[in-house]
Amino acid sequence: MASNDPHFGDSESDDDNFNPAPADISDDENEPRSAQKRSSSPANARSDDEDDGARPSNGASAKSRQAADDEEGDEDEEDVGEDDEINDVDEDEEEDEEDDEDEVQGHRRKRHRDRRNAFFDIEAEVDDEDEGEDDEKDGEEIEDFIEQDDHPDDIGEGARLNDDRGHRELDRRREMEASLDAEKQAEILRERYGKRAPARGYRDMAVVPKRLLLPSVEDPSIWAVRCKEGKEREVIFSIMRRVEERAGTKNEVPIISAFERGGPNSVMKGYIYVEAQRQNDIMLALDGVLNVYPRTKMILVEIKDMPDLLRVTKTPNLEPGAWVRIRKPMKYAGDLAQVLDVTENGLEVRVRYIPRLDYGVRDEALSAGDLKRKRPGAPGPRPPQRLFSEVEARKRHPRHLQGNPQTNSWTFMGEEFENGFLVKDIKIQQLEVKDVNPTLEEVTKFARGAEDGTENLDLKALAASLKDSNTSAAYASGDIIEVYEGEQRGVVGKATNVQNDIVTLQVLEGDLAGQTIEVPVKGLRKRFRPGDHVKVIGGSRYRDEVGMVLKIVDDRVTLLTDQSSTEITVFSKDLREAADIGGQGSLGQYSLLDLVQLDPTTVGCIVKVDRESMVVLDQNGDTRQVVPSQITNKLPKRKMAVAADRNGAEIRLDDVVREHGGQQRQGKIIHIHRSFVFLHSHASTENAGVFVTRAANVTTIAAKGGRINNQNAGPDLSVMNPAMKRNPTGTGNNMQPPKTMGRDPALGHTVTIRRGGYKGLLGIVKDTTDTCARVELHAKYKVVTVPKADLVFKDKTTGRTIDIYSRGGRGGFSGSGGRGGAPGGWSGGSRTPMVASGGERTPAWGASKSTARTPAWSRGSENSGSRTPAWGDGSRTVNPYDGSRTSYGGATAYGGGARTPAWSSSAKTPAHDGFGVGSKTPAYGGSDAWGSKTPAYGVSAPTPGASGADSWGYTPGPSGGSYDAPTPGIGAPTPGALNAPTPGAYSAPTPAAISAPTPGAWQGGWGGDAQTPAVGAPTPAAGGYYSAPTPGAYGAPETPAATGPRYADDD
Amino acid sequence: MFFLHSMERRVLLHPSYFGRNMHDLVTAKLVWDVEGHLAGDYYVIAVMDAFDVSEGRILPGSGQAEFTVGYRAVVWRPFKGEVVDAVAYSINPHGFFAQAGPLRLFISGHLMPDEIKYDANATPPQFTNHADMVIEPGTHLRVKIIGLRTEVGEMWAIGSINGDFLGCLQG
Repeated sequence: MASNDPHFGDSESDDDNFNPAPADISDDENEPRSAQKRSSSPANARSDDEDDGARPSNGASAKSRQAADDEEGDEDEEDVGEDDEINDVDEDEEEDEEDDEDEVQGHRRKRHRDRRNAFFDIEAEVDDEDEGEDDEKDGEEIEDFIEQDDHPDDIGEGARLNDDRGHRELDRRREMEASLDAEKQAEILRERYGKRAPARGYRDMAVVPKRLLLPSVEDPSIWAVRCKEGKEREVIFSIMRRVEERAGTKNEVPIISAFERGGPNSVMKGYIYVEAQRQNDIMLALDGVLNVYPRTKMILVEIKDMPDLLRVTKTPNLEPGAWVRIRKPMKYAGDLAQVLDVTENGLEVRVRYIPRLDYGVRDEALSAGDLKRKRPGAPGPRPPQRLFSEVEARKRHPRHLQGNPQTNSWTFMGEEFENGFLVKDIKIQQLEVKDVNPTLEEVTKFARGAEDGTENLDLKALAASLKDSNTSAAYASGDIIEVYEGEQRGVVGKATNVQNDIVTLQVLEGDLAGQTIEVPVKGLRKRFRPGDHVKVIGGSRYRDEVGMVLKIVDDRVTLLTDQSSTEITVFSKDLREAADIGGQGSLGQYSLLDLVQLDPTTVGCIVKVDRESMVVLDQNGDTRQVVPSQITNKLPKRKMAVAADRNGAEIRLDDVVREHGGQQRQGKIIHIHRSFVFLHSHASTENAGVFVTRAANVTTIAAKGGRINNQNAGPDLSVMNPAMKRNPTGTGNNMQPPKTMGRDPALGHTVTIRRGGYKGLLGIVKDTTDTCARVELHAKYKVVTVPKADLVFKDKTTGRTIDIYSRGGRGGFSGSGGRGGAPGGWSGGSRTPMVASGGERTPAWGASKSTARTPAWSRGSENSGSRTPAWGDGSRTVNPYDGSRTSYGGATAYGGGARTPAWSSSAKTPAHDGFGVGSKTPAYGGSDAWGSKTPAYGVSAPTPGASGADSWGYTPGPSGGSYDAPTPGIGAPTPGALNAPTPGAYSAPTPAAISAPTPGAWQGGWGGDAQTPAVGAPTPAAGGYYSAPTPGAYGAPETPAATGPRYADDD
Repeated sequence: MFFLHSMERRVLLHPSYFGRNMHDLVTAKLVWDVEGHLAGDYYVIAVMDAFDVSEGRILPGSGQAEFTVGYRAVVWRPFKGEVVDAVAYSINPHGFFAQAGPLRLFISGHLMPDEIKYDANATPPQFTNHADMVIEPGTHLRVKIIGLRTEVGEMWAIGSINGDFLGCLQG
């Protein structure tokens, strides 16, 4: 029975969980054993005694040694621990039981030790399996026993006893095992042998599943004990010393291991971690150790967290020459510093960096009292980085300056300066050592510090610091890469795959050509050749520049940028082979060489584009840096922009011109803005080769397409043969409006007056002038003068409203008849120009609106009654109600009224269409001849909304005039348009006729406008209209002289 | 390097030129269109002869006649590594620009023999080794093309005078 005890009751493996039964057995083991051993007690007792003395010390020494090992060799253990994976163990039970167990453990262990000697063979076995973290030590122990046991004195008896006991022991064990049920046996066996695997596994880690190495509930626990921050390592060292001191003494340090995970950036700083069976052991071990506070609450580390405790985080190795960034003090935050030295404890680093001194300038500004209150971290403008200047310092604070000019080392205001650099010991915590990414520019500042100005840049260190940071990103498959370090040095290949920091290369050259090898990123650099076209990709300031490689020294590549023709030097890792086209040069919508508006009076050409801002060369030749938000807008390139050079020759974009006077620079015109030309030249690199000058200050060198030298090269065969041009002076397509002469068709017509005091009265036109007609009233014998526009012409017999002007009153205008014949076509045709004419019209229109129109309008709306209804309606309707013809009730009247005939006549004409809008009114439809028109209407009606408005607004004008020229009502507004768009068509039938009336119409209307701003315009025209019969009236407006110029004016 | 290159081009002729001498006009237009221009990565130096002027085809819409003309031209295509003679025209501290016919070359300070240095004090500024080599605007040079770059309608190169027989041409 007792023999079981070593197996199951062993202290170091917390067996109890698994097999309580043996523990029970072991509890009463003493009695049977003692009973059993009575006979052989002397030897037994002696060996027990011996054991008491020697054994524990052995065990403890083993343990303490182990602890020491652990302490020293954090790393080794970490490696192991790191590999561990969490094993699911019943952690729930674990803690409780552990506690319970801890109490009993002590004596149990003792007991077990007692019997060691006696059961030598078994002992060895037990030791092996349970304590056997270290086979060697076990071996030693065993040897110890052997030495002790094989004492020459008792060799015979000892052997006999052992033999005897051994046999009995074996019997008992078998008996015992037999008595246990299978499950328990399995458990025991597993317990006994299962643990061997991990124990051996330390030797042979590759094959052992990692999870088996994980700590389990049976393992000692780890407590985190508070200590003074930054003193972690010291504490561990003192514990180690203590362990060594007390090794082999009575009060041996009862812990298994102790370690720390301090360090500047660690979250575990301020704690040390102690591995021990019981919390109390830690108390004992740490009692009296400085800087550690075991009395405060210890934190038990959970089992699942244990592996994490030992996870290795690779701490960047700081070596002299390496680059770091300063985190504190704030004044230098972010500044680059170079490591000069690392203190022994690895906590502080001596760095040098460029001081930001103001030599007390700011202090002076403050009063003396303020000076004291000044906080070091106080926010404020921080002085720029500048090397220390002895002169400045002496000027300001001579008393605070000490030093040696020979070595150029100074002490100023309590800080040390060497060669202009500030040298200081800084805690690692206050430095950023990872992802430093020093740029070449920053680093160059340090290099410049050398007295002789030579470049003593330690690029190796720089490259190393750069390598540290996310290097893998720098390589992409397809890159040509060269191995410059290690066995495969010199191999050149093409990257086919990049995974983390392993690059797979397809070797291109040399013996290995064609093979695929894998190389760590560390020893790689990209390979370029002079002349390669590359793009900067990395974190360099020159990112996105594209250029051609000029020179390669190690992994520094000098390239000539395409954009600015400047040379830049970057690391090859920051480069990529560039596609042939591309490059920097755009920031949002703005790209290099764009012309932008900076403010209402200033434009500039973008000459440099950075990542967030750009440099602009303005028209005055000044450059300024702007951000996109400062730009008002981008001026589109005006391809047709023309300017005159100093000789008066025309210059356009892309012409090559030379400055006259000044530097005689020569360049290609990239922008013409008013009198300024922006030129681009490859000869200079300043402002990307862009310069600005006045157009009058350049002479043409070569015009694009050889405009200048064209003569000897022959004619331009892609355009009209000049010899064929009939009318070289050529704009003359606009024929002068034909004169309208002769009798006014309005004369002798029956009319009604639609406005004014005689409104509604019928009469006969007796005489006309340009604008007015004298009408002899039927109602009473009286001749009144009425504006032509206020007349509605009636057919003498039928009484219908007619358009006298379409009636062929005008000679040529029979054409209108023709047109009338094809009303649909006509209206359609006219339509378009009409609409188009809207554009032309607009200005004139606007003018007339503001002047003539508006009043007319207002008047109309106010008291339409006072006006001739037709007119009022017309005018009113048209503009405001264009769309909504409802109010055209008026129109109805209108339709029914005198208008109708006029309308119908004009109906054939676009004017009508204009009306067409209004004409939707049933009255209209109802009106004669309209039926036929209706389709035309349909056509015109929809569109007119706009055109209607125009034509309407118009109508008065036209109607005045256009009534005289039937069609033209429309034609009138757009004489040019009419002629222009379809000259052929138009001019074919009766060119003269068409154009003739039109302008006339115009004249009437517009001329009227001009003269009488208000309604006057329409009215007179209308008057004219009405009095149309009176040729005189008619003739007047058509006076060529008048027409010509006015027409021109109007247009 | 110069090549005699056979090419083909479509020439458009305005209808107003249709007539007896149309083929002459087509040829003239071809010459006018291509000579002295950069066509991709080579310059067309001169059209030797235009043969095979196809029948004209009127383009609907514009009325222009399209002729397909086969022609032979002397072209110059600069190559990487080619050695060319050039004339320096602009000097700056980083290097200088030179012109080899239509091709613009930049010769960087890095691509010169070490002893040739920029001398800013000379007028005009020059690159010189203070012996036989003086590079200033107008100097004739023999340059090796290191890299070529083509953009639309433009081509330029970087060159080196770092090598045997490169650099200033005597006389």
